[in-house]
Amino acid sequence: MIRFRLGSVVGLSAIGVPFLTLIAPSWLTLMGVGPSWSILWLLPWSLFAGPVSGLLSGFALGLSLDAISLGDATYAPFLSILGLWWGYLGKRSLLFQRGFSLGLLSWIGSIFVSLGLWLQFVLNGTVSPVTLFNLWSFHTLLAQSILTGLMAPLICSLLLMCFKNYRFLPSSNFSRDSL
Amino acid sequence: MTGGPKLTTQRWRFWRRRWPWIFLIASLFIIRWSKGTGLLDVYAFITRPFWPGTSQQEWLLQGAQLEQKARLDLLEQDNMRLRRMLSLKESSKDDFFSLPVISRKSNGWWQQLELGKGKFAGIKNGSAVMGPGGLIGIVQSVTPTTSRVRLLTAPGSQIGVWVNRTKRHGLLLGMGTNRPRLTFLDKDSQAIKGDIVSTSPASTLLPPNLPIGVIQSIDANAVPAPHATVQLFASPEAIDWVQVQRLDD
Repeated sequence: MIRFRLGSVVGLSAIGVPFLTLIAPSWLTLMGVGPSWSILWLLPWSLFAGPVSGLLSGFALGLSLDAISLGDATYAPFLSILGLWWGYLGKRSLLFQRGFSLGLLSWIGSIFVSLGLWLQFVLNGTVSPVTLFNLWSFHTLLAQSILTGLMAPLICSLLLMCFKNYRFLPSSNFSRDSL
Repeated sequence: MTGGPKLTTQRWRFWRRRWPWIFLIASLFIIRWSKGTGLLDVYAFITRPFWPGTSQQEWLLQGAQLEQKARLDLLEQDNMRLRRMLSLKESSKDDFFSLPVISRKSNGWWQQLELGKGKFAGIKNGSAVMGPGGLIGIVQSVTPTTSRVRLLTAPGSQIGVWVNRTKRHGLLLGMGTNRPRLTFLDKDSQAIKGDIVSTSPASTLLPPNLPIGVIQSIDANAVPAPHATVQLFASPEAIDWVQVQRLDD
């Protein structure tokens, strides 16, 4: 029962990621660029659920984001690596669940994913070599990482709290590894 | 003094009885000399409520617009007939249908629109998408009920365009920024700031003669070919409905 409830909370919040990416509320943008919702969800989930779940859910999120974007580049490998890394961090210490750490981790993660996308654009030839260091990619990278880092303490800690509420109920008898 | 007190009184009375006439005639003389000062002003003041007002101006403008629209329709028909004779690709207003924009990302890594109709409504990959003003993108993929548009500004977007004034072709490349880049195929582009960029009249992929934008600046010394920055007519940030071209095969 509790497992079902946790599963539904996780599932619903995860479905929110591609939906929010599609809705892209225009009032929540920094110079026209919105936050990276996938990172805002992936960070608390991997910290909570461990490296294997982090890796798999990062890959799953990457696939769903690739499905709703134009498709010159893929998110999946970068989100998987981030999920794995954050999973290990979450296993190691509870310190990473503090607000400031959440902000910093999501900021780094957003920069990592953005650099990955940008590298793919350059290698694909989508962005011509003449404009290798074009303003647009750095503008997007900076705006997205700053906004994600600013929103992370709020949203990630809220999600963490939600996950934990269902995790530590008295009759819960499953361990972190069973997820 | 001549006359006496009685005569003086009579003269005075004579003038006193006729001074309105004198005044009237004098003022008419003044008006006559000044070609109507006062009289025309009074006339203007009185008739001001009956002057042709803005409503009448609007009627005239409406009439003019109607005339222009009729002329445009005639010219379009004529144009289509000629294009048919030359067996070129034709386009008319009936070939487009309106779709709502259900998701919009005009900035960031992906610059795309999601539209509210798809394969079931007959949309195919490669259809041209028009916003108010001009071309904004090309349909890139369709699902049964939605379709995804790659905006002209998106990195990786490439279409062939035509500068009408110089009669030269070019390639419009999306750069991620709000203004795509027009790369000319010739060394000597002859284009100047303010030239209109449209789809090519001989295009086979896109409908001919769709307006796209205006050349905003030109870098004539760029290697390997000169390029220009183009300001699009339609702005995808603010569009709720778009026109999508109906493709038949």
